[in-house]
Amino acid sequence: MTHPVDFPPPDSAGSARRVFLKQLAAASGSLPLGKALAGGTATALLLQSAEAGAAPSGKPVINTVYGYESFGPDEAAFVEAMLNIMCPADHFTPNGVDCGLAIYIDRQLAGSFGQGARRYAAGPFLQGAAQCGPQLPLTPEQYFKAGIAEADRAAQRLYGQLFDALTPQQGDAFLQQLAAGQVAGEQLDLAEWFNALVYPLFAEACFADPLYGGNVGMVFWKMIGYPGLPATHALDVVQYLGKPYPGAAHPKSIADFS
Amino acid sequence: MKTRASKTVVIVGGGLTAGLIARQLTAKGVDVLVLERGGDHSKGPESSLPNQRDELRWSVRQGLIQDWSRETYTLRHQQNQTALPVRWMESFLPGQGLGGAGNHWNGHLWRWAEYDPQLRSHYQQRYGKQAIPADMPLQDWGVTYAQLEPYHDLFEKLFGVSGQAGNIGGKKLPGGNPFEAPRSGAYPQAPLHVLESGQVFKQACDHLGYHPFPQAAANSSGAYTNPDGQQLGQCQYCGHCERFICEANAKGSPQVLLYPMLRARKSFEVRLNTQVLGLRYDAAGKRATAVHCLDLMTGEEYEQPAEVIVLAAFTMSNTQLLLHSKIGKPYDPVSNTGVVGKNFCYQVNAGVDLFFKDKWFNPFLASGSTQIVIDDFNNDNFDHTGLGFLGGATIQAYQFSGRPIKGRRVPDGTPRWGTAWKQANADWYAHSMSLGIEGSCYPHRGNYLSLDPTYRDAYGRPLIRMTFDFRANEQKMAAFVSGKMMEIARHCGADKVGSLQALVTPFDSRLYQTTHIVGGTIMGETPHDSVVSPHLQHWDAHNLFVVGASVYPHNSGYNPTGPLAALALRLGDDLLRYLQRPGRL
Ligand SMILES: Cc1cc2nc3c(=O)[nH]c(=O)nc-3n(C[C@H](O)[C@H](O)[C@H](O)COP(=O)(O)OP(=O)(O)OC[C@H]3O[C@@H](n4cnc5c(N)ncnc54)[C@H](O)[C@@H]3O)c2cc1C
Ligand code: SF4
Repeated sequence: MTHPVDFPPPDSAGSARRVFLKQLAAASGSLPLGKALAGGTATALLLQSAEAGAAPSGKPVINTVYGYESFGPDEAAFVEAMLNIMCPADHFTPNGVDCGLAIYIDRQLAGSFGQGARRYAAGPFLQGAAQCGPQLPLTPEQYFKAGIAEADRAAQRLYGQLFDALTPQQGDAFLQQLAAGQVAGEQLDLAEWFNALVYPLFAEACFADPLYGGNVGMVFWKMIGYPGLPATHALDVVQYLGKPYPGAAHPKSIADFS
Repeated sequence: MKTRASKTVVIVGGGLTAGLIARQLTAKGVDVLVLERGGDHSKGPESSLPNQRDELRWSVRQGLIQDWSRETYTLRHQQNQTALPVRWMESFLPGQGLGGAGNHWNGHLWRWAEYDPQLRSHYQQRYGKQAIPADMPLQDWGVTYAQLEPYHDLFEKLFGVSGQAGNIGGKKLPGGNPFEAPRSGAYPQAPLHVLESGQVFKQACDHLGYHPFPQAAANSSGAYTNPDGQQLGQCQYCGHCERFICEANAKGSPQVLLYPMLRARKSFEVRLNTQVLGLRYDAAGKRATAVHCLDLMTGEEYEQPAEVIVLAAFTMSNTQLLLHSKIGKPYDPVSNTGVVGKNFCYQVNAGVDLFFKDKWFNPFLASGSTQIVIDDFNNDNFDHTGLGFLGGATIQAYQFSGRPIKGRRVPDGTPRWGTAWKQANADWYAHSMSLGIEGSCYPHRGNYLSLDPTYRDAYGRPLIRMTFDFRANEQKMAAFVSGKMMEIARHCGADKVGSLQALVTPFDSRLYQTTHIVGGTIMGETPHDSVVSPHLQHWDAHNLFVVGASVYPHNSGYNPTGPLAALALRLGDDLLRYLQRPGRL
C-alpha cells in the first residue's frame, strides 16, 4: 500500500532524487497527464474526488493531481521530502505527497492566501513584541519560499546536503530542531516560519475538505472518525449519546454534494 | 462632496444592535437608514449546504470577518512601547456584513449578575471603600438590572432562547443557575440536549457540591415563532456554528430574525457596502450633523445628514469614529483625564483537556452553545475576602464542534507529526473533552484605546491603538479559578488529564480567545467619567447615541450580548421619546 517512489532508500544519493523530481515537475507542467490538468484546479479536484469514490475498496486512494502552480522544482523537492517525513506512509495513510498535502500547500500559496489577501500590508515594518504577530513585508507565498531557501542553507551547514537529500531520520531530526528554535536562520526566524506558517498549512492540508487538494480520499477524516457532511444531527445527538457514531466510518465531503 | 437628503435616524453599522433599534423605531413608522460596510450573507455559500460546512473557508481563512487589509488595530502592552499593527488578527473576530458578528456568534446568552450595573457600589458595600484598587476605574452604569429586565425578556423571546431558568421572581428553581438575576418568566424554549461531556462534568460538579446548569442559548431547541412572527428551525447540532452562519435558520441571529422583516417595512432602508468614515460635528450646537460615507462599490463619497445618529458599529469602530471625528475628550492615562478610549477590557480564558479511553464524546455532534456551566466562582458570587483580587469566571464543559483542522485534542507529550501523531489523533479525537473558564476583566488605568500615530487604514484614517495587557488582578483571578477547574477535572474520572492551559500573558493577538472586547465609549452618571449617559446619549452631542459592548465600563465573566441587546431595545424606545422632544433624555 505504500508508494516508495517518493522515498529513496536511506542510503541512495539524494541528488539523483532531486533530478528526478525536477524532471517530474517540468514534465507535469507541460505534458497532458490526464484529466487532473485539463480542466483547471477546482474541476480537476472534483473529478479526482469522483474517481476516489469509485476506487475499489481496500486500495488506498492517492493524489492524481500533478503540476505545481507555485513551487519551482527545488521548492517542490523540499516540500515533498518534508511532507513525506511529517506524514510517512503507514497503516493510517499513504505518504504526504500521495495524500495531496503538497498540492494543497502549493494551491494555497498560489491562491489568495499566498498572495496575502485580507492581510494588513502597510509599513513601516518594525520588530517588537511577538504577540503583535509577524511583521514582514512578504506575502505568505514569498515568506514560505524564503524560508525554504534558508532552511536548505541551514541543512547544508549542518549536514552538508540539501534538506531533500537527508535520510528520513536526519530530515525528521532537522525539522524537530527547526520547530524548537535550534536552527538559526540568516535573516528569518526559522522556528517562527515553521511553527506559524508551515505547520498550520500542514494541519490544514491533512484535515481540510478534500475539495482543496489535500486529505485525498478523506483519509485523515476516516483516521479520526470525522463524518463530514451533511452534519444535520438533530436526531443523532440523542441516538448516539455516548455511543460510537456509525457515519464516522463513511465521511462525505463538499464535493460529494456539489 | 455631495450631500444626500436628510434622514430621521441613521444607524452606523448593520449588526445585532442596529437591527434591534430599527425594530423598535420602524414599528412606529420612524424613518431609519442603516449604513453597513459589508454585504448581505443570507443567500450565498456561507449560509447554504454544502459550502457552509467549510472549515477552511469560513473559520480558518475568516471568510465572514473584517477585512484586515482595510482596517486593523495596533497593539502594545504598555504605554511606553511602540505599538505594531496586527496584520492578521486571531484573538477576536469582528463581523462584516448585514447582521454583523450577531450572525456568526455561538449564541450563549447571559443576563449578567444583578449587581453588575452597580459593580463599584456593590464591591464597596461588601468589602469596604479600600477594596477597589486605585488603578481599577470600576464605575456604576447609571441603570439597574430591574430597569433592563423587560428588555432582556423581550430579547430572549425575539431570539427564541433555549434555557433553564434558575430564578423566577426570586424563587430558585432546580436545574437552573442559582446565581441568576431574578427573571420575570421562564426561557421561551426548553434547554438544548445535554451531551456526554456535559454529563461527565455535571456528575463531578454535583459530587463537589457546585451548581451545574445548561447554557442558555440562541440555538433553537425546537421549531419556534417569535412575537414578530419570525421563525426559527430546530438546531441541527451541526458543529458549524461559531464563525459560521446557520444554514438551518436555527440560530437566533439578525439576518434571520430582524433584517428580512425590517426590509419589508416601508420606513426602513439599508445601504450595504457603505463604509462610514467619520461624523460631522457642530461643537457649538453640541450636535452631530451628518455621517461621512464611502460607497465601496462605486467609490462615491457623500454626506448623509440625520436628525439622530446612532453608532452601532462594534467596540473598535464606535471608539474610532468618535476619536477620529474629535467628539469628546480622548482619555489620557497619565493625567487620568478624558474619557474616549477609557476602560478597554477583554476577557480571561483558560482550559484543560480530558481523555477517556472508553467514553464516546463524538465532538462533531454539537451546537455552538452545548455546554454545562457553573457560576459558583464567577464575579462576586463567592467571598473575595483575603483573596487579593476581584472578579471571577464561569467554569464549563464546552463542546461546540469537532471541526478537524482546529478542533482536535491530543494528550501532553504527543509528537507534532509522524505516525505517533496520527495514532494519538485516531485514539483521542472521539474520546476527549475540554473544560474552560471564561472570566471577568476589570478596567485598568493603563488599558485603553487611542489613535495610532503611525499606521493608517485603507481610507487614510489612523488605526485604533490598543494599549492592553492582562494585569495583576486578572492574572490572580485566572490562577484561582483555574485551580477550581483543575480540581473538577480531577474528579471527572478521566484516564488522562492534560496540563493546565493557563491564561496567556502578555495578551497575544495570535490566539483566538473571545470576541468580547468592551469599553472605549463607556456609559456612566457624569460627563466627567463617561462618554455616554445612562440612556446612551453622548454628553457632548445630544442627538448622538452609542450602543454595544463599547459602553460597558467593565467586562463581566459572561458573554456580552444579553445586556447590550437589552440596552439596544431600550434605546429604540428612548429614541421615540427623543424624537418627540429632542434634548437631554
Ligand atoms: C465567533 C464569535 C462568537 C461569539 N459568541 C458569542 C456568544 O456566544 N455570546 C455572546 O453574548 N456574544 C457572542 N459574540 C459577540 C456578539 O456577536 C456581539 O456581542 C454582537 O454581535 C454585538 O452586536 P453589535 O451590533 O454591537 O455588533 P455587530 O453585530 O458586530 O455589528 C456591527 C456591524 O457594524 C459594521 N461596521 C463596523 N464599522 C463600520 C463602519 N465604519 N461603517 C459601516 N459599518 C461598520 C460591521 O460590519 C458589523 O456588521 C461572539 C462573537 C464572535 C465573533
Ligand atoms: S449548531 Fe444549530 S444553531 Fe448553530 S449553526 Fe448548527 S444548526 Fe444552526
